[in-house]
Amino acid sequence: MIFRHTDLTRTTKTVPRLIKFEEELDLGFGEEIAAKAYGQKLLSCIQCGTCSATCPLSHYMDFTPRRVIAMVREGFRDEALSTTTIWLCASCYSCTTQCPRNIHITDVMYTLKREAILRGRYPKRYPIPVLARNFFQGVFRTGRNSEARLIIKLYLQTNPLDALRQAVVGMKLFLMGRMSLRQDRIRKIDQLQALLNAVDSGNGKKGGAGK
Amino acid sequence: MSKSNGNRPARIGFYVCHCGHNISGTVDVAAVARYAQALPHVVVSREYKYMCSDPGQERIAQDIREHALNRIVVASCSPLLHEHTFRTAVEKGGLNPFFFQMVNIRENVSWVNESPEEATEKAMDLARAAVHRVAFHKALEPKRVPILPDVLVVGGGIAGIHAALTLANAGRKVVLVEREPTIGGHMAMFDKTFPTLDCAACILTPKMSQVKNHPNITLWTYSEVSKVEGYVGNYTITVRRKPRYISEKLCVGCMECIEACIYKEGKFPDEFNAGLSRRKPIYIPFPQATPQVVVIDPQTCIEFKTGKCKKSCLEKCDRDAIDFSQKEVVEEIRVGTVILATGYKTFDAGRLPHYGYGKYDNVYTSLEVERLVNASGPTGGELILRDGRRPKTVGIIHCVGSRDRNTNRWCSRTCCMYSLKLAHLLKEHTDAEVYNFYIDIRAAGKSYEEFYDKLLEENVHFIRGRVAEVTDWTARPSEEGKLVIRVEDTMIGVVRRIPVDMVVLAVGMEPQFDAQEVRRLFNISCSTEGFFLERHPKLAPVDTFTDGVFIAGACQGPKDIPDSVAQAGAAASQALVLIDSGSIELEPNTAYLVEEDCSGCKSCLTICPYHAISHDEARKKASINEALCKGCGTCTATCPSGAIRQNLFEDEEIYSEIRGLLTPMPAEAQGGESC
Repeated sequence: MIFRHTDLTRTTKTVPRLIKFEEELDLGFGEEIAAKAYGQKLLSCIQCGTCSATCPLSHYMDFTPRRVIAMVREGFRDEALSTTTIWLCASCYSCTTQCPRNIHITDVMYTLKREAILRGRYPKRYPIPVLARNFFQGVFRTGRNSEARLIIKLYLQTNPLDALRQAVVGMKLFLMGRMSLRQDRIRKIDQLQALLNAVDSGNGKKGGAGK
Repeated sequence: MSKSNGNRPARIGFYVCHCGHNISGTVDVAAVARYAQALPHVVVSREYKYMCSDPGQERIAQDIREHALNRIVVASCSPLLHEHTFRTAVEKGGLNPFFFQMVNIRENVSWVNESPEEATEKAMDLARAAVHRVAFHKALEPKRVPILPDVLVVGGGIAGIHAALTLANAGRKVVLVEREPTIGGHMAMFDKTFPTLDCAACILTPKMSQVKNHPNITLWTYSEVSKVEGYVGNYTITVRRKPRYISEKLCVGCMECIEACIYKEGKFPDEFNAGLSRRKPIYIPFPQATPQVVVIDPQTCIEFKTGKCKKSCLEKCDRDAIDFSQKEVVEEIRVGTVILATGYKTFDAGRLPHYGYGKYDNVYTSLEVERLVNASGPTGGELILRDGRRPKTVGIIHCVGSRDRNTNRWCSRTCCMYSLKLAHLLKEHTDAEVYNFYIDIRAAGKSYEEFYDKLLEENVHFIRGRVAEVTDWTARPSEEGKLVIRVEDTMIGVVRRIPVDMVVLAVGMEPQFDAQEVRRLFNISCSTEGFFLERHPKLAPVDTFTDGVFIAGACQGPKDIPDSVAQAGAAASQALVLIDSGSIELEPNTAYLVEEDCSGCKSCLTICPYHAISHDEARKKASINEALCKGCGTCTATCPSGAIRQNLFEDEEIYSEIRGLLTPMPAEAQGGESC
C-alpha cells in the first residue's frame, strides 16, 4: 500500500514517495474491471481529467476519478479499492455524460465498490460503506428499513463520540414523533432472503446477509 | 536621368495607403500626404484606404496620364506583398514599371511603433528618402530565360520515387539519382505502415518497379551528384556513378554468384537489416531491390583486398556480368529543374547512454525492430531477441532524441504513430505485455487518433512519463535477468520500476549526415536544425530560395509517408509549372559590368555566392552571368574600381536615398537638390 486513505475531513494528503514494483501490481485488474463495467472502453481512457473537473465531489476525494481510472488500468488494485473516491461517488453521472471516450465511470465506481466489499478492502470505519452494509443487513433481516436503528448503528460503528452529540437531536426528533424505534417486519421474509441471496450469488458471493 | 524620360525633370506621384486601420491606426496618413505634397518634384500626393484595390491602382494609372507623372512612390505594406501589384499599375499608366519605389510603413512603421507622433515622423522620413531615390530610377527590362524540360530527382526514397513517377507520367524526362545500390529508402525497411497496417513493401515495390521500367525515367543507383552548375532552367549536373563491379546491363539478379562466393556464410553487417544480420561481400540488399542487380563491396571482398581470391563468383556467372575492373563513371546531364528528396537519418541512440543502447543486447532502435518483425527480416519475422529469448514484456520509449534540448529540440512527428504500430505488431507477434512511455501522444492525422484508441483497447500500457534510465541493476528477485525501466507514472503520481525483456527506443528523425554538403552543392538554405529550408513555411512549402530547386519529403523536416508523398507531388507540379511556362522572368536587379573600368583583378570571382562571375581570359575582364545573379550586391561592394554596378541599386539611387533620409524637416529647405 503506497496510498493511505483519509476520512472526509482531510482533503489534502501526503503520498509517500515510494517506488512501485511491477510484482506488486495486478496486471489483469484493468481488464477484469472493464469486463464488469461496460467493457473495453474503460481501457481507452486518455486521462483528460474531464471526469474529475465535472465531479461535484472530487475535491473531497483522496484521488480524483481520473487517477482512480489510471490506477485501475495499470493494475494498482489495492490502491484503487481503498480510495475514498469510490465511496464518495454520488452517482450523479456528470462524468459519464461528459467522458469523451464514453466510459461509464459511475458504473466503474460501483464495480470498484462491489470489488472492495468482496475483497474486504473498503475502509472499515468509513461512513458510506458502513451505512450501505447496515442498510442491507436491516432489510435482509426484516424486509423494512428502520431509519432510527440505521442511524444509531452508523454512528456507533463510525464515530461513537459524535453519537452522544447527535443523541440530543435524536431525542428531540423522537419526542416530536419524527423518529420511531419500532421495527416493521414483512411476512414471508424467507422469500425475500432467497431473492437477495440469488442476487448475491450472481455477484460471485456465497450468499447470506450482505457482509 | 534615364533615357525614357530624357532630361525632363522628375514629376513624382506620391500615394499613402491606410491599409484599413493597419497603418492609419498609428500613422497620421493625411499628414504624411500633406507633407509629401511639399517635397521637391512631387506633383500629386494622395491618401487612400486600400491602394492595392482596383480603384487604388486605377488612381495611379489615371494620375500618370492626367498629370504627366514619370515617377511613382507608394507608402504602404511590404514590397514582398504588393511591389508587383503597383509596378503593374505603373505600367498600365504607360510608364516603365521600374520608375517606382515602395515604402514599407506597415511592417516597418505602424506595426512596430506605439507612439502615433513618432510613427508619423518615421513615415515622413521614409517617404522623403523614397522621393529622393525614385528620381534616379532607370527604365529596366526584366529578363527571360528558357527552361530545359528535363528534371533531376535526387534521392530514391518514397518522396523521390513519387516525384519522379509524377513527372514521368506527365511526359517529362527524369533522371533519378540514388546513393544506395537500390531505391526504396527507409520505407523499404519498414514492416507495416500506420494506421492502416498495409505492408510497406507491398505498396512500395510496385512503384519501385514502375520507376525501373518507365521509359521516361533514367535510374542511376549507387550514384551521387558531385557538381551543380548553372541556374534555373539551365542546370548542368555532374553525377559520379560508383562501380558496383557488376554490369547493370548483363546482370539478371539470379544471385548464383552470391551463392558461389567463397564466404559460405554472411560475415559483414547487413545495412538493409540495420546490422541485425550478416551479408557476403557480394550481395543484393533485399529480394525486391531495384534494380535487381548484385553489388560487390570492395571494402570486404577478398579479391579487392588481396587479389588472391579464386573468384568463384566469376566462374559461376554465365552472363559474364562480373567485372572487377569496372571504374567510376562520371556523367554530365543538363536539366531545367531539380527536386531534392534526400531524406533523413535516424537519431543515434548511443548518444543517450542511460537508455543502454549498445550496452544491453536487448535494447533495440525502432528501425531495428521494423526489420525484426518483418517476414523477410533477419529472423524471418520471428521475434527472437539477440540473446535468443522471446520477449514476454516490452517497453517502448518515445521521444528518444526528440523534444530534448540536450539532443534535438523538435518533435519528430512520426515516432508516436510508429511506436503505436510497433506496439500492435509486437503484441500480435508475441502476446507480450507492451508498455509505451510517452510525453504526449501526437496522433494528428487522418485515422491516427482512432488507431491510438484501438491500441488503448488492446490493453497496451500507456504510461505518461519520460524514462529516466534502463538498467540491469536489480532491486528484487523478480527483476533478475530483466532490463528495468525507471519512470514516473505522472498520471498516478508514483515512480515505477518496470522489468522488461526488450526495450525499443523510438528514435527521432534528423537531417541526413551530409545535408550541409548537399545544401552547398545546390545552393539552398537550411533551417537552424539542419533540414532544408522552404521558401515560405506555409505558402511555398516545396520551393527553395534557389529558383528551380524544389524539396520534398523528410529532407525538409520530419514527415510520415502520406506527407512525403503529398509533398513530392507538390514539388513535381511546381517543377511542371516552370517547365510548361517555357521560360522564367527574372527580377532585373542584377549586377552589371562597366567594362572599361574593370581592371581584371578577379576580386569579385571568389566572393560571388552564386558563381555568377567568371573571368574572360581573352579580354582580361570579369564577365557576369545575369541569369545566375541574385542581386545580393556583394560584388558591387567588393569591386575596388567601382566597375560593377547593380540595377535598382545604383550608387546615385542609394546616395540620394540616404541624403533624403538625413535631410532635416521641413523638406522645402532642401528643395531642388535631387534632380
